[in-house]
Amino acid sequence: MSATPRLMRRAGIALTALALASTAAACSAGGDAGSAGGSTLTIDTSFVIKSLDPGHVYEATGNTAVHAMYDTLLTFHGADMSKPQPDLATSYQASADAKTFTFHLRKDATFGNGDKLTADDVVFSLNRLRNLKASPSVTVANLTASKTDAYTVVVHAAKADPNVPVILTQPYTGIVNSKLVKAKGGTDGADAAKTDSAQKYLDATSAGSGPYLLDSFDASSQLVLKANPKYWGAKPKFSRVVLRNMDVQNQKLTMSRAKGPELALDLSGKMLEGLPSSLRQSSADDTFYFLTLNADPKISKTTSNPAFVQAVRAAIDYRGVARLFGGNASPAAGVVPPAFPGALPASEAQHQDLAKARKLLADAGLHAPSVKLMYPSITYRGVDLGTIATKVQGDAKKAGIRLTLDPQPLTSFLNAQQSGKVAMRFSPQSLNYPVAASLVNNLAPGQGTAATTGWTVARADQDVVAAGKKVQATLDPAAQQRALQDWQRLLNQHSPYIPMAYNSGVVVAAPTLSGAVYAPAGWQVDIAAVGTK
Amino acid sequence: MTATTTAAAGTRPAARRPRVPNLVRFLGKRVAITIGLLWGVTVVTFALVHVVPGDAATANLSEQALNDPAVVAAYRAKWGLDQPIWQQYLHYLGNLLHGDLGTSQQTGRPVLTDLVQYVPATLELAVPSMILALVVGTAVGMLAAVRHGRASDQVVRVGSLLGLSTPPFWLSLVVLYLFFYLLGVSPSGGRLSPQFAPPPSVTGMYTVDAALAGQWAAAWDAVQHLVLPVLVLTCLTVATLIRFVRSAMLEVLQQDYIRAAYAKGLPTRTVLGRHLLRAGLVPVITVSGLAFASLLSGTVLVENIFGWPGLGQYAFRSATGLDLPSILGVSLFVALVYTGVNLLVDLLYGLIDPRIRLS
Repeated sequence: MSATPRLMRRAGIALTALALASTAAACSAGGDAGSAGGSTLTIDTSFVIKSLDPGHVYEATGNTAVHAMYDTLLTFHGADMSKPQPDLATSYQASADAKTFTFHLRKDATFGNGDKLTADDVVFSLNRLRNLKASPSVTVANLTASKTDAYTVVVHAAKADPNVPVILTQPYTGIVNSKLVKAKGGTDGADAAKTDSAQKYLDATSAGSGPYLLDSFDASSQLVLKANPKYWGAKPKFSRVVLRNMDVQNQKLTMSRAKGPELALDLSGKMLEGLPSSLRQSSADDTFYFLTLNADPKISKTTSNPAFVQAVRAAIDYRGVARLFGGNASPAAGVVPPAFPGALPASEAQHQDLAKARKLLADAGLHAPSVKLMYPSITYRGVDLGTIATKVQGDAKKAGIRLTLDPQPLTSFLNAQQSGKVAMRFSPQSLNYPVAASLVNNLAPGQGTAATTGWTVARADQDVVAAGKKVQATLDPAAQQRALQDWQRLLNQHSPYIPMAYNSGVVVAAPTLSGAVYAPAGWQVDIAAVGTK
Repeated sequence: MTATTTAAAGTRPAARRPRVPNLVRFLGKRVAITIGLLWGVTVVTFALVHVVPGDAATANLSEQALNDPAVVAAYRAKWGLDQPIWQQYLHYLGNLLHGDLGTSQQTGRPVLTDLVQYVPATLELAVPSMILALVVGTAVGMLAAVRHGRASDQVVRVGSLLGLSTPPFWLSLVVLYLFFYLLGVSPSGGRLSPQFAPPPSVTGMYTVDAALAGQWAAAWDAVQHLVLPVLVLTCLTVATLIRFVRSAMLEVLQQDYIRAAYAKGLPTRTVLGRHLLRAGLVPVITVSGLAFASLLSGTVLVENIFGWPGLGQYAFRSATGLDLPSILGVSLFVALVYTGVNLLVDLLYGLIDPRIRLS
């Protein structure tokens, strides 16, 4: 049985017409939106965002947008992390005991709706942030704000903290219009965690004094900013900014064809290879990747043995690991990344010594020790962490250590890490706020990460404990940086941490753009500083 | 009157009982099954989310915040996670009965509002993909069946096998590379170019809404953004359809009545169009229904690569954030889609094949 040729011809014609229609539609689809000119800046990034309320924001995309919409008392410009610069505060004084900080506000700052920005707004914003008990609240839990007059604010730290000015550069300390936010259910009362209901409003409308205002926000697709016509500072170059949620692979393709004002925030490591040389790249090593070995003998007799930790430390091929991270990476010298004052010089980078590793194991009576290495099975800044873990496994094997890889989904990894029951783990780590001393709060014995590693004050070398305390007690910045370096050298000898490599976020920008500088301060790029050449 | 009726009913109950039409009984049964199914979905989803390793606080708070018990406690209290699981479930069920699907931990909005926003975006991809897949799949499948064993049949079989074996993310990247990067004839992703603002929402589908608002440039831009993801989804769906259509048609072609039709001298067009197509469509409708439901609920990878803010992306974000209200909302929607599509398929059977209608 067969069909007639006429029917076959008709079917063929129909299919050809369909194919032609599809092709015509594709062909007429024009160039990419990103290449559109005008005063729209397009920023491609894989969205990590939940909220645009400064009291709740803590994720990368949110920080970038909130920094553009809300001014802070102080700020950093570009990649220079040496000293906070004036923003809403024209100047400040710190007391000798690093507990009282007095900020003098500029008098010409206004919010997007025209209201004047005063000390009341600053006090409300900082106290609300603390009392909301959301993710960023932890950093300011020690701080209380009050005013002495309409343009003077005093921030009091319950414990001495010379880093308060740095904390007050962070997007989550952005100043909101207190009158407006209170009208929308906001409160800075002690019960704000239960009673504040302004987040919904602030996710849809900005209430800041920054160079941009929120036009629209959809956490799945795009976030649109428009220039604030009442901005007190220099007008931003672009009247409209569109942050598009875009897969990393797609960002690479898009930037490869970018001609107009467009930049991408997630191309890093190996993803940078093959990009046109005309694109501008900006980076600063602000993240370190490290192994953590549990110091609690109840969790692992092997990893809690200091000789084993030192053997693993000697077994790692640091240069090889850094190469896997791509061109911007470098082997680690300590836990402070080079983007921040207090980092160890590159000449002190760790290096592989397999003979030393084998001797340490033999002297400790550890024959073919075996440990499970847990890590989050994610691609972070363009690098598959599984690749790094496999490299570590191979290096350890050369020293006679058997590591069994245990990749976990991110949430499971974080959960396991939090339980404190993981023998050995590998993960990236950034600073909580852009000052290296903040690492002491997290890594010193008994603190956040240390606590989940079984590294208590009792188990730690007392020299390390003392060095950490010295960092926190040193108020002079230069002296604190020296103390940080000493602390890191001791960590390299006596801690359960093995920093392996530094890596960076990268801003990849179209050739026509200027000012697209990667900001290690926490907001990736200062959108208002981006212009055209 | 009542007494008389009762007495009569006592003697001849069967004759007096009001007769419920078959279709109403059928629909009633299906609605009851659907309610039971939805309840089952809430139980299973609720249990699964609590069984998987991980915790909503861990997924949604910063690492630093997790070290502060006060912040963790505040988060748990805010989202009701500090209550026993059974209490959380009863609370959810109570709200559900009042049409409240809860509030998403990811977006901070009611889940229903989220669904109303994201479902139309996915529909905008799924509907044209399904229509194209049906047209192409039926035509090519029939062609392969009537040319059974010939070269064209072999080509179609290999082609559909390739389509079935192709991972969606790979095909998405390939078409992007080809049409956007190499040829430069297509946008790279998203629903609209950055210079366009979304049109006023009526249906939630940008192509339709922009046209309704008379924003023709935006409408055309939205159509251009549809092309590549629709192409990928069509390719993936059409591969399945071709195989089913071919196999169904081959079976019908062996039937005596087809031979009889040819023997009577009926033109091939009539034989294929009236006898072959109609009989062969029954199994195809089943597959099409499932394929459409799958398009509505399973386009996660394609949506991610094309930056398409639809239900797939929403489901993905909800799952990775262990956002229970959103996960439940999506699960209920998907269950509703599958039951709805199956019901529609059952009704269509009756329309196409009178034997099924009678039985």
